[in-house]
Amino acid sequence: MAAIQIQDVKKTYRGRVHALRGVSLEVMEGEIFGLLGPNGAGKSTLVKILMTVIHGSKVSGTMLGKPIGHRKTLEDVGYLPEHHRFPYYLTGKQVLQHYGALCKVTRSNRNSRASSLLARLGLSGWENKKVGSYSKGMLQRLGIAQALMNEPKLLVLDEPTDGVDPVGRREIRDLLAELREEGRAVFLNSHLLSELEMVCDRVAIMVKGKVTMQGTIDSLTKDSRRYEIKTKDPLPLWVNESADEIIGNTMILHGNDPVTMQPILDRLRAENATILSVKPVRENLEDLFMRAVDNIDEPGAMK
Amino acid sequence: MQFKALLIDAYRQLSAAKLFWVTVGISILVVVSYGSVGFNEHGISIGYGFWEVESEQLREGSPWARGLYIGIFSSFLVKVWLAWIATVLALISTCSIFPEFVHSGSIELTISKPIGRLKLFFSKYLVSLLFVVLQVAIFCLGIFICVGLRIGEWNPMLFAAIPIVATFSSYLFAVCVLVGILTRSGITALLITGVFWMVLWSIQTSEGILNRFVTEQQVSIERFNEGVIDAEGELSQMKEKSAEDFRIPKIEKRIDTFNADIKGAQELLDKLEQWHTPTTWVLAISPKNAQTIGLLDRWLSDPDGFDIGAIMSGDMQEFEVDEMEEIDRTTRGARERETMRRMREEYESRSLWYVIGTSLLFEGFILGIASWYFCRKDF
Repeated sequence: MAAIQIQDVKKTYRGRVHALRGVSLEVMEGEIFGLLGPNGAGKSTLVKILMTVIHGSKVSGTMLGKPIGHRKTLEDVGYLPEHHRFPYYLTGKQVLQHYGALCKVTRSNRNSRASSLLARLGLSGWENKKVGSYSKGMLQRLGIAQALMNEPKLLVLDEPTDGVDPVGRREIRDLLAELREEGRAVFLNSHLLSELEMVCDRVAIMVKGKVTMQGTIDSLTKDSRRYEIKTKDPLPLWVNESADEIIGNTMILHGNDPVTMQPILDRLRAENATILSVKPVRENLEDLFMRAVDNIDEPGAMK
Repeated sequence: MQFKALLIDAYRQLSAAKLFWVTVGISILVVVSYGSVGFNEHGISIGYGFWEVESEQLREGSPWARGLYIGIFSSFLVKVWLAWIATVLALISTCSIFPEFVHSGSIELTISKPIGRLKLFFSKYLVSLLFVVLQVAIFCLGIFICVGLRIGEWNPMLFAAIPIVATFSSYLFAVCVLVGILTRSGITALLITGVFWMVLWSIQTSEGILNRFVTEQQVSIERFNEGVIDAEGELSQMKEKSAEDFRIPKIEKRIDTFNADIKGAQELLDKLEQWHTPTTWVLAISPKNAQTIGLLDRWLSDPDGFDIGAIMSGDMQEFEVDEMEEIDRTTRGARERETMRRMREEYESRSLWYVIGTSLLFEGFILGIASWYFCRKDF
């Protein structure tokens, strides 16, 4: 079942700025879905529409089986906004209890969950300290704990690792993987492509208010797979007929089938050519992202 | 559960503000000072017996002592401390609640929760009034104990100050909330609320002054007409007795003077009405904060007619003359006394609906705009 299913979501500000120009995507239960895109692509706008923070110009779709904007459904959704600010006068535990109460979590559950989440996010010992004394990374961890207070079926995280150190990032990745194991859907909005690549099952790339690519990283990079054969000496002339591309002493063969390069390797060995390396190569998420945003004239929303 | 969470949050926010505790401290100081005034069989004691003044009237058990003690509360502590100083401090403390609430990064956390925006807005509004309610409650409790111990009157009506001052403050706070939501700036909200308060004060003062002049002219016309009737009666009696009576020209001159005064007063009244009528309309749809606070005066008024406010404003003479028969009802003094009596009667006859109802309607209108904006806003 889809945790989020939206079709043709649009948002226009003052009739001029088209932040979203018909976004359709699907997030399944028990998967981590990454949304990426350059600044001003409309990622946060989309997340805010899902979380009822802003009103879409056209919204059609469901979240946990209910129409987007259905207030009660939010009881089962956890949300960490980008650049969130907690009341400075509250302690970490009070923050969790406060937002837990707003999510209608019972008093006894609030107390027990607050303690266990603080421990799970590595904030033990800080529960009774005012959030004003927390570092950026700690606030981010607390934000994630806050989003988990209602044991959500769907977790929406906007830049969750912003300001978190490498150790903390790894812990957050592990936590997200655990949540996926528990069957929860995670909708992740991040600039950190390498992190998304490590943790996401599927991704969508958004550019100027539209989703330009969507799917698993494997399926999106399928066409970019190739083999690179590098020799010590310049390549013989007959190679021009077999190779898709030649760069110096390296020949490139597009495709994912290793069988196709065997005759070439055999012939090279027969001619006593020294083969330095044979590398299967595929695009990573960053390459994919750069390819998606390559044609953008200027960043930001469409005007 | 959600309302309770917002209430607890508001309390934590307030208790984290130094100004809240400063105001509580000053309130306690005021109560302690109030409690230092007492009465014994010889007279009045001030500073917990440090200074004693002998008095025939102001002594233990006398109605004057009761009037003075309650009067200090309703006329000064409520009207000056609660209605002005404490309200200003409350506005300073609470002006940033809504701007901080709708601040980017903070509002997303709250409105993404399963609580409707309208419910959220009004819950936040109500719990924000907690500052005033807590302050006034602490203050009234202290005053209640002082009054009970000092004059032996355990008067629960003193607690009427809590809803009255909270209502009074809410008129201003509604404006503060609207501006705070629109501008997201606590300072701007505070300044505009201050300006709004001054405008209200100007409207009410203008209405009071115009009302006084209008009533004065009405009383003058009435009294001069009575004077004319009396003089004409006197004249006809004289003429019946003797047409040559030497007093006749004097009385005729008096009638002419009265008629001229009536004409002058009528002309002035017509001019004043041009201003007074629109001012009363503007006042009718504006929050009446002075009159709201004045309700407490009405409810705590002394059964013996003792009015500390009147005494302090120099109207003591009025109490002595009020009961006396006026010898000449057309004199300036008699007309002024009648004017004051009628004005007091008129203000006291203004219904609760007029004083609080219309003010709450205005507040509702302002909150309607603010809540509509809050519900429609993309944060």
